[in-house]
Amino acid sequence: MKVIFYTGKGGVGKSTMAAATAFQLSKNNRVLITSLDPAHNLGDIFGVTLKDKKTKFADNLFLSEVDLQKRSREYLEREVDVLTRTYSYLHALNLTNYFNVLKYSPGIEEYALLTCIEETIRNDNDFDYLIFDTPPTGLTLRFLALPRVTITWIERLMQIRRQILDKRHTIQKVRGTLKEGEINPEIKLKYDERDDDVLNRLKALDENYQSLNRVLQGEDCSVILVFNPDLLALRESERLIEGLRDLGLPLRLLIDNKVTKENEDTAGEVEKMLVRYFGKDIPVKRVELAATIACQLGRCLYEIPEDLVSAL
Amino acid sequence: MGEESKKSFLKTLREILEGFSEGRRESVIALTCKEAQELENIFSLLLLGAFVGFPAPPTFLAVELLPFMEREMRVLHYRAETSGDMLAELCGTLGID
Repeated sequence: MKVIFYTGKGGVGKSTMAAATAFQLSKNNRVLITSLDPAHNLGDIFGVTLKDKKTKFADNLFLSEVDLQKRSREYLEREVDVLTRTYSYLHALNLTNYFNVLKYSPGIEEYALLTCIEETIRNDNDFDYLIFDTPPTGLTLRFLALPRVTITWIERLMQIRRQILDKRHTIQKVRGTLKEGEINPEIKLKYDERDDDVLNRLKALDENYQSLNRVLQGEDCSVILVFNPDLLALRESERLIEGLRDLGLPLRLLIDNKVTKENEDTAGEVEKMLVRYFGKDIPVKRVELAATIACQLGRCLYEIPEDLVSAL
Repeated sequence: MGEESKKSFLKTLREILEGFSEGRRESVIALTCKEAQELENIFSLLLLGAFVGFPAPPTFLAVELLPFMEREMRVLHYRAETSGDMLAELCGTLGID
């Protein structure tokens, strides 16, 4: 199974390129294309209405648009549920409602996005290709950085947690086990790694993120950068290349979209500059601007004459 | 000495010795207890520091672990209450008069 991310500045044509690639690939492979952009237009491209779940478009082609708000809400509801169960005595005082404020925690959307990618990779492994259409640069880099940032945090927290348990263990050994009737809050604490809920949760999270990171940095993952022949797209693409390099994510193809006869020279220059900036050999595909496509009946937005799959 | 008073004497002696031993053990681990508590304090500060304006970890990490953090929050609260006299507490722990 291969995982492909389409990235780039807003409005360069990521969704269209992703849709066209998915359509071309689906002739010989089973493909799932998922839009992670909160401003979805995958449904518009394929001319269908999409919901948060997978929808079959053709025999080998499935589409989905992720409802981020719904995902964040579901995630937080789950957490509030655990919290409410742990502090069940608060029910008596009718205070559990106060946990609802967690719904407004910042940063949850990126997490929901990441969870969504993780779940898709884990559950939809019967597809040959998973294609993700991502939100514009800033958000994409933030959520792609999340596994690594999170792993660093988890490792640090696990280290401190282990030290705490180690100290508790020492205390327990010196003080000895208490006799019946004696109450000492220290002794009731968990000192064994296997019993500590916090450490166990951290371990589970660590395992999840490590495996996601392995997929993202592995051979079967590709990031494709879409840009237009103009200065702003060039600058933002450079930032994206830099960001991907920092994160160790594999950029494998550049797509220069919306090229016309008038901007052909600029297109060539921008391509050259980006390849030079990338520093290694990388294939570049050029896609011509089809200005009249919306008016031509019988032709769909995802039908692009250029071959987008041979370089994958 | 009657049988009763002999028993009572031995009981008192045992209690004294046990108390002595416990005192010794407590003094040995006092520092470790303090360290453990401080580590718990650091752990919760790192995780929940956003509440007091510290740079925070990814929010969801705090949210994920929050259900299991009751004791850590209590330690944090205790530290906030006693932080006015931290020097005295530190001197006490290290045995400086």
